[in-house]
Amino acid sequence: MKRVAWLLAVVLSMGAVGAEAEKPATRADAEKDPVLRAMLKELDRSVEQLQLPGSLKPYFIQYRTEDVASYTARTEFGAIEGAGHAHHRVVVVTVRVGDRKADSSGSPADATAEQACVGDDEVALRSALWAATDRAYKVALASYAQKQAALKQVQTPPQANDFSEELPVIALGARARLEVEHGIWPERMMRVSGLYRAAENKKLAGGVVDGARAAFEAMARTTWLVTSEGTIVRKGTTSFEETFAASTQADDGMRLTRSYSSTGASVADLDAEEVFEKHAEELLGSLGDLRQAPLVEEEYHGPVLLSGDASADTLRALLSGVTAMRPRLGTEARTVGAFASSYHARVLPDFLEVVDDPTLKSFNGKALVGAYRVDDEGVTGEQVKLVEGGKLQGYLIGRQPVRDFPHSNGHGRATIVGPSRPHISVLKITPREGMTNEELEKRMLEIARDRGLDHVYIVQTLGGVQFPRLLYRVGTDGKRTLVRGAALDDMDNRTLRSSVEAAGKDLWVANYTDDVPTTVLAPALLVDDVTVKRANEKNAKLPFYPPPR
Amino acid sequence: MPGKSQPSQARYAVRTAAFLLLALPWSQLAAHAAESTPPILEAMTAELDRAFAELGHAAQPAAAGKQLPPYFLSYSVQDAQVVTIGAQYGAIVNSTTNRLRSADVQVRVGSAQLDNTHGDHRGTAVHTVRLPLTENREAFQRLLWVATNAGYGAALDNYLRVKTESEVRAKEEDSSADFSQEKPQVHVGKPAQPVEVDRAAWEKRVAALSRVLREFPEVYASQSMLSVQNTTTYYASSEGARIVTPYRLANLVVIAMTRAEDGMDLIQMRTFQAETVEGLPTQAEMERSVRQMAVQLAALRKAPVTEPFNGPAILSGRAAAVFFHEVLGHRLEGQRQRGDKEGQTFTKELGKPVLPEFLSVIDDPTQAVLDGVALNGHYSYDSEGQPAQRVELIDKGVLKTFLMSRMPIASFAQSNGHGRAQAGRMPNGRQGNLMVTSTRTTTEAELRRQLIEEAKRQGKPYGLYFEDISSGFTLTQRAAPQAFQVIPLVVWRVYADGRPDELVRGVSIVGTPLAAMKKILVTGDKPELFNGICGAESGSVPVSAVAPALLVSEMETQRQPQGSSRPPILPIPQDGRQTGPQGTSASGASAAAQQQQEAQ
Repeated sequence: MKRVAWLLAVVLSMGAVGAEAEKPATRADAEKDPVLRAMLKELDRSVEQLQLPGSLKPYFIQYRTEDVASYTARTEFGAIEGAGHAHHRVVVVTVRVGDRKADSSGSPADATAEQACVGDDEVALRSALWAATDRAYKVALASYAQKQAALKQVQTPPQANDFSEELPVIALGARARLEVEHGIWPERMMRVSGLYRAAENKKLAGGVVDGARAAFEAMARTTWLVTSEGTIVRKGTTSFEETFAASTQADDGMRLTRSYSSTGASVADLDAEEVFEKHAEELLGSLGDLRQAPLVEEEYHGPVLLSGDASADTLRALLSGVTAMRPRLGTEARTVGAFASSYHARVLPDFLEVVDDPTLKSFNGKALVGAYRVDDEGVTGEQVKLVEGGKLQGYLIGRQPVRDFPHSNGHGRATIVGPSRPHISVLKITPREGMTNEELEKRMLEIARDRGLDHVYIVQTLGGVQFPRLLYRVGTDGKRTLVRGAALDDMDNRTLRSSVEAAGKDLWVANYTDDVPTTVLAPALLVDDVTVKRANEKNAKLPFYPPPR
Repeated sequence: MPGKSQPSQARYAVRTAAFLLLALPWSQLAAHAAESTPPILEAMTAELDRAFAELGHAAQPAAAGKQLPPYFLSYSVQDAQVVTIGAQYGAIVNSTTNRLRSADVQVRVGSAQLDNTHGDHRGTAVHTVRLPLTENREAFQRLLWVATNAGYGAALDNYLRVKTESEVRAKEEDSSADFSQEKPQVHVGKPAQPVEVDRAAWEKRVAALSRVLREFPEVYASQSMLSVQNTTTYYASSEGARIVTPYRLANLVVIAMTRAEDGMDLIQMRTFQAETVEGLPTQAEMERSVRQMAVQLAALRKAPVTEPFNGPAILSGRAAAVFFHEVLGHRLEGQRQRGDKEGQTFTKELGKPVLPEFLSVIDDPTQAVLDGVALNGHYSYDSEGQPAQRVELIDKGVLKTFLMSRMPIASFAQSNGHGRAQAGRMPNGRQGNLMVTSTRTTTEAELRRQLIEEAKRQGKPYGLYFEDISSGFTLTQRAAPQAFQVIPLVVWRVYADGRPDELVRGVSIVGTPLAAMKKILVTGDKPELFNGICGAESGSVPVSAVAPALLVSEMETQRQPQGSSRPPILPIPQDGRQTGPQGTSASGASAAAQQQQEAQ
């Protein structure tokens, strides 16, 4: 699901740093913050004293505190279903025993979470850290023993160290604050989810809306991070999102669902009220169109044009595996996943280039939610060239090295209570010579004619990588028809490598506010050979009796 | 006229009220509306009537085909407001207000003899939907329509399965109907008022209770949680039932945990309950109680581990109440007497002695208060709209009946007002206020004397005194319906040779605890009350249990299985100034107040 942009922190920290750019922050500065003061105090105590007699001391300890404040207003069928604030804090502790070459990592000790107090009570905060640290240390000792035993079972030694050495960073951004005019949102969302009435009367061609939800969600997240290596980070991010989703059934029972969302790092980034309502109205209209749309043909093999929107979803799914993960012990693999053995090999056509750039904060005036200054392991985010001339040039990596990649490039990212993993941030796919939409369609129709096809397909939006929500059949005469009930096949890495014919010149901005926010900047893609077939989902019974009027 | 009106009269009353509304000026209207049909009941009744009239009868799209109409439809709307304040390690971790309205739609197709709820399908007949918080009738009815549609579809599907299964299987041992015939009830009570809690003041109080535990470095983990809920239940059925009942509960629980040097985890808790926060004990009283609990937990941590034992024992009144609720009460639930997956411990014991003849057991949800304390298991109508009834379960030791919902069993065809469920679940026979009474009583001192005597008689160096027992559910928050274990929390050795009593830890009761019930020799003379939340297949419901202390001639115990994890390596962080176990609560409270201000 696409959600928001949460950039405020980075923007704010830049502001703060900009003012005294020449004077780097120090531990003394950090200790003015009661949360950091408590964290550092408990960290010092653990570093000095935490040791089970006769066992190893930890060689690395990291404390992360996450503060999440949110406001939500949910409405359905024009009425409020719930609205309110929530505020909670957790501490997440990492303990490593052993050494950089071989340690205890890969166990729950990488992220042991404990609920913490929402105020800045030092003893209570330290107590939560103490409890999590004690658990993490004991688990780490057990994991380390298991790891040592496992190492003795294999002939091939590990291909890289367990933990990279990085320079400590002190970066003190501002805490995120939740600033929401909460009085207005229930009303606004109720108006939007109430639009189903008018649509049912006019646009739905006898159809019945069996779901119409509109919701607003605002979140402010502050992260504090300290490590036994001297890293001290405070960063804050905010995200805002409004969504509308509606569903109906076609006369044959097929479920038809559509959703729209507007996201941003501030309220100002969201659609204006009337713009959002217009989108909602259009969406309801499209449900009416879909109800009357013909079913897709039995099976089709040929060119398909993915719009920028559809292409972003597809590329995100297929390229998010360009990360460096620890391979299975005893193997010579570099990493795992679809790109494990693709270093310097062709992964895309030679006219496409890919970089991942967490420092890219906005694009064409749009805030990018995947951007950050420092990652969740306290490493500064770097721009990484991933694919050049169609060939894989690198991986996204955190502090877990793999063969030939001994250092982090600042892509270690974590969910609120999870361990950090390498992750895409702002993934930008750029064609060397992009075409306009008209040129792409023209090129597609040429291919169709060469192959004797009487129509081709354009995917406008996807609901999951396989299922188009808006799919158009385009005749060789250029006539467009909306069709329903389709599934895409063969959209895999092989298709990406060898079947992409051309790309658009404009980049679509897709912000995904999942647990780890990411952004994809993608061109439309003309793919030479894709299968479009019937989805054959179960068609539920139509309503047994009419809705109340 | 609670419980007396006929459905047709009820409908008439609704219409009359609606008519009057048009004629009255606004001020009177508001006053009148408060006394007559609440808008929620009116909207759900309208949709219920419409659905029941149209399902299986209405002109339908040709594709839908001819369907079997439902023979029963009910809507149960829960309108709940819950204020929760939690603290840990002396500071607030969460403080929220939640408002939730949801409807449970129950659809039955087939006939009362055999319907879609038969056998394993029982849970499938309830469909739950969230409802709007405003009186938006259009959205309200639209959402009920969505849930009814889904529920009806599932009911048709399950009924088909039930019929197929009943054709291919051998005759069931209990061939009772699936749904009892009952008289529909009409009782429109006053909806519950919104929760009123001085949040800032209670945040300070909950934090202060948690802060008491900071005085005890051996308390490794703790939780203090206040939850205050005001709920109104609206119930309407196609049989004509129309019921509105309010419910209020303020619950404050403090749990403290520690670990002995040998790795045994130990836990203690204190629960305070009242209808509203005003009814809770004073702060000083609660802090005293929490401090006592922590002192006992610290003592328990150093106490010797129990040894296998089979001999006389006393259960305190509170422990006996929990014991009866878990060990006896759950086994007397009607639905446990039917179906081959049930233990059916008591199914064939009707009319036979199951306890010593000086003991009787009733379940009486109609009783609201005992000695000035609100009973948690009080209600006036159950989750199936039946009036609560006082039920004599065991009379002078002889089993008389079971706790009945509207699911009949071979021996009983009717509900006795014990069909209970939490929102979203299918109601089952459950306990309300379980009360054990005795005609062979004695004083506490005499009970102790007899324990020592009995120990001597059996040649045991000591007898056991179970001061506190917890249900397995309460501790693990998991419903283990077949087990209904009891876990002793505080147990003492009472020596026969006059040595002082000795606290022991790690006691667990062996074998079927039911056996111990037949070995009760005598009881105390003071009934004690346990208020709690009980979990089973139909969810969590508030309950009470009342019992006197018991002396049993034989209770077999052994050492409980335990963890092997070490206690924490470093001591828990402390305030700058060291506060010993003798520290005063005043400093804790003011520090909490200061912390709250910082948190603003």
